[in-house]
Amino acid sequence: MTAETYSSKAVDRSRLHNRLRAMVTQENLITIVVALIVAGAVLVPLMVLFVSSFKVLDPSGWDTTWGFGNYVTMFTDRIIPKAFVNTLIISSGSTILATLLGVSLAWINARTNCPGRSYLEPYNLIPFFLSPFVGAIAWHNLGEPQTGLLNNLARAVFGIEGAIINIDNIWGVIWVTGIFFAPLVYLFVVGSLRRMDPSLEDSARTTGAGLIRTTMTVTLPLVMPGILSGAIIVFVTSAGEFGVPFKLSAPYGWETLTTQIFSKAVGDDANHYMGAAMSMALGVITVFLIWVQQRYIAPRSFTTVTGKGFRPNVLDLGPWRWVAFGYNIFFILVAVVLPIVCLIIVSLHPVWTGKIVVADMTTINYVKTLMWWHPEAISAATNGIGNSLILAFGGASISMVLALVISYMIHRTKGFGVRMLDFLSMVPIGFPGIVLAMGVLVTYIQTPIYATLWILMLAYITRFFPYGQRNISSIMLAISEELDQSSRMAGASWFTTLRRITIPLLKPGLFAGWILLFIIFLRELSISIILFTTGTETLSVGVYYLTNFENEPLTSALSMAQTVMLLIAIYAFRRLAGREALTA
Amino acid sequence: MNTQEDTGAYLEVQNLVKYFGNDRAVDDISFAVPKGAFLTLLGPSGCGKTTTLMSVAGLHSIDGGRIRVGDVVYTSPSEGLFLPPEKRDIGMVFQSYAIWPHMTVAKNVSYPLEIRKVNQSEIDDRVNEVLALVGLTAETDKLATNLSGGQQQRASLARAIVAKPRLLLFDEPLSNLDLKLREQMRVELKRIQNEVGITAIYVTHDQSEALVMSDEIIVMSKGKIEQRGGPLEIYSRPVNEYVSNFIGVANLLKAKVRDTNGSGQGVVEVSQDGQTMTVPCQMGPGIGAGDDAVLSVRPENVHAVRESNGGNIVEGEVTNAIFLGNYVDCRVKWGSFEWKVIAHPRTRLKAGEKVFLEFDPEHTLAVQP
Ligand SMILES: Nc1ncnc2c1ncn2[C@@H]1O[C@H](COP(=O)(O)OP(=O)(O)OP(=O)(O)O)[C@@H](O)[C@H]1O
Ligand SMILES: [Mg+2]
Repeated sequence: MTAETYSSKAVDRSRLHNRLRAMVTQENLITIVVALIVAGAVLVPLMVLFVSSFKVLDPSGWDTTWGFGNYVTMFTDRIIPKAFVNTLIISSGSTILATLLGVSLAWINARTNCPGRSYLEPYNLIPFFLSPFVGAIAWHNLGEPQTGLLNNLARAVFGIEGAIINIDNIWGVIWVTGIFFAPLVYLFVVGSLRRMDPSLEDSARTTGAGLIRTTMTVTLPLVMPGILSGAIIVFVTSAGEFGVPFKLSAPYGWETLTTQIFSKAVGDDANHYMGAAMSMALGVITVFLIWVQQRYIAPRSFTTVTGKGFRPNVLDLGPWRWVAFGYNIFFILVAVVLPIVCLIIVSLHPVWTGKIVVADMTTINYVKTLMWWHPEAISAATNGIGNSLILAFGGASISMVLALVISYMIHRTKGFGVRMLDFLSMVPIGFPGIVLAMGVLVTYIQTPIYATLWILMLAYITRFFPYGQRNISSIMLAISEELDQSSRMAGASWFTTLRRITIPLLKPGLFAGWILLFIIFLRELSISIILFTTGTETLSVGVYYLTNFENEPLTSALSMAQTVMLLIAIYAFRRLAGREALTA
Repeated sequence: MNTQEDTGAYLEVQNLVKYFGNDRAVDDISFAVPKGAFLTLLGPSGCGKTTTLMSVAGLHSIDGGRIRVGDVVYTSPSEGLFLPPEKRDIGMVFQSYAIWPHMTVAKNVSYPLEIRKVNQSEIDDRVNEVLALVGLTAETDKLATNLSGGQQQRASLARAIVAKPRLLLFDEPLSNLDLKLREQMRVELKRIQNEVGITAIYVTHDQSEALVMSDEIIVMSKGKIEQRGGPLEIYSRPVNEYVSNFIGVANLLKAKVRDTNGSGQGVVEVSQDGQTMTVPCQMGPGIGAGDDAVLSVRPENVHAVRESNGGNIVEGEVTNAIFLGNYVDCRVKWGSFEWKVIAHPRTRLKAGEKVFLEFDPEHTLAVQP
């Protein structure tokens, strides 16, 4: 065949054909499919939530009209405006407490010669993995005025009247939320403190500034972006926290936005449209704050690390190091040891009256909550364990696959819609679980997946896959793209490269991310509480059921079971991910 | 006060010892510096220079010895004395500059004055004065992170001297700069130190930096002092093989001392591959007749000639001659030893030629091995 036999049209056609063929690659096809799935999962519930918030339920409870009525109600209602204020107070208070605790503990661990600090660090982080709801339950049993263990101890030992503490109020919520979220701030700060060039501090010391002045004028300002990021995340997380106010303040007259949204989702007072409007209000606030954090604060971090001449030395606190040590031990005591000890004690009593009665101790509560085959087993609890394990295994696995594919696309392909994917995998981080769950509820309530585990799985994955994705992305950024490219040069297809090169390199990160999600799913409450029905209870929902309809010893027993499972997972996480995985 | 007058020293370090774990990072070091002088600690990486400097700064405790500046004792573990760094009234310039990235240049420089509660108008005056001295007037209100490396180094120097401290400490301040800037900053650092008149200790592993800037140099190795002296003395009269080798370039040969005349001259015998020569030379300290020694001759002190004048002579073959404009860098093979020789371009030495090497006894040294 000679060149003249081609008409110019035919050349054009074959070019077009080639262009099309070039676009229909494995890469692009998968990118588009994944982008569509993620967009559907993330955006549809939020849009339905938005639309629903403008439907106003008429007093009969049957018909709806369009309008701003729900938003007006938020200001005129008897309770909701107070709930707003309470949420604000709780979030601000928890943020202040968590920041003070988190920064001081991080500083002690990273920059001083506090004794035993390498042993203390993992314990400082434990509250981050445990359930704040369970923390609230434990602290309720420690600090309730009549039956609280600490109050009873004080009465017995010091012979005082009344109570030394009362945890069942808004300050109790701040206390528990603050100590449980302190590790979040810790994690944001400790890495940069640890990597900070010590000569920045040394030079302040040599110019005549003492230890405290150096810390205040040099060390802390340098990690201020990290502190602010941590504080914002704590504020947002506290505002979306359901379990702690539900246990400690709502029953005593301090409602919050989340407890109000919950009361609009289920029960006698249910009004999904009102719930949607409140979720929108909460979501707008949190999205705005997260956007500020991502856009303006995260990029501001000072790079103070220098390679050469770097000496990782720490400040000598002299005798004060024992004060620092005591302070750290105190934190571990109130955040980890006391709550767990209290749960164990309460769970061993048939009824809890605030007094330890060794003679009465029994394991019946564990029998009722754990042994599903036992005639007295409580199905909400036993179901919860099974369901949570299914959700945690399945959800973590699916999330990590999704996260892997998305990270790969964002960092390794110039495929279509990559920026969109990047954006989509940021969005869920801005919305508290309870808000997203409201969206999922109003979207899928009419579909067959409602009242199945699938709807929980969908909501879990949608809300939390970004954590897995960030985990993988950070490693992927650190691994040279050339490693992939050389595999492609060697003749491997995209898929083979993924399977033979990329995934093996990412394996540690994949495992760490998987366990992190496993832990999050195992203790998840604020999504589950909106979406569960009889038969699809989760572990935390079981705890909720027991605390609401049964007694404290049964609640403590299931809480303890959940805590033990989480502690095992944390141990596995540390073994697999290593010390730097979280703090890097 | 007494001690100061006794020794005439402003800074005095006596028998300094510092352990890290079981390693002696600094092993019994003593030195003294007169007021206003510029002392350099010179040595290879890991020899304990920074550790010595940090001990003076008080950035870590020491395990033995005594450090005094003027009539203030900084540290003396045996007397239970340890002055924290902020009380020592020193200025320090770090290798990483350590300019605080969250402050402007002016804020960085005024910080030591604010600590000392100087009033604001005086702070402004002093900061402007010092920034002018280091040539950063135009950068006053910039954020420190927007400065170039050289500018950061100047800012760091300004911050160190602004409060007129008793002592100025430098830890390899120039090693992050490129060569040109480094050479320029050397001269400038020295000028500024001179102008302000502060006693300075300078740490470097760069010998040319040390030679250019110092009034006095201490050559260290493995936590010990090898030699101390003025730049010229260190260069022309190294006391041992280590110093000869570390400072500048030298031809070093194993030798045996034949004879000494007691007033610093003597004769050594060098054997190489069966050839033997006797060389009259200067005797370094601590070696006597019959000792093992090392013959040390700088390349510029070896004269390559075509015609022998007889006497103190080695006969060899030029293996390499590189013309470098104002001199010729030659290698002359003598048995298995290769002499480094710097020859005048006029000699027009070529590779392959036979030459005779002559040594001037004044500039030929026998030192301790
Ligand atoms: N904080 C420390 N902990 C343990 N060992 C240390 C520490 N700092 C220094 N060392 C050790 O002490 C010795 C001396 O270190 P130093 O930093 O004083 O060396 P240097 O002469 O300043 O070297 P360089 O030119 O590389 O800066 C080295 O062997 C080093 O490994
Ligand atoms: Mg050093």
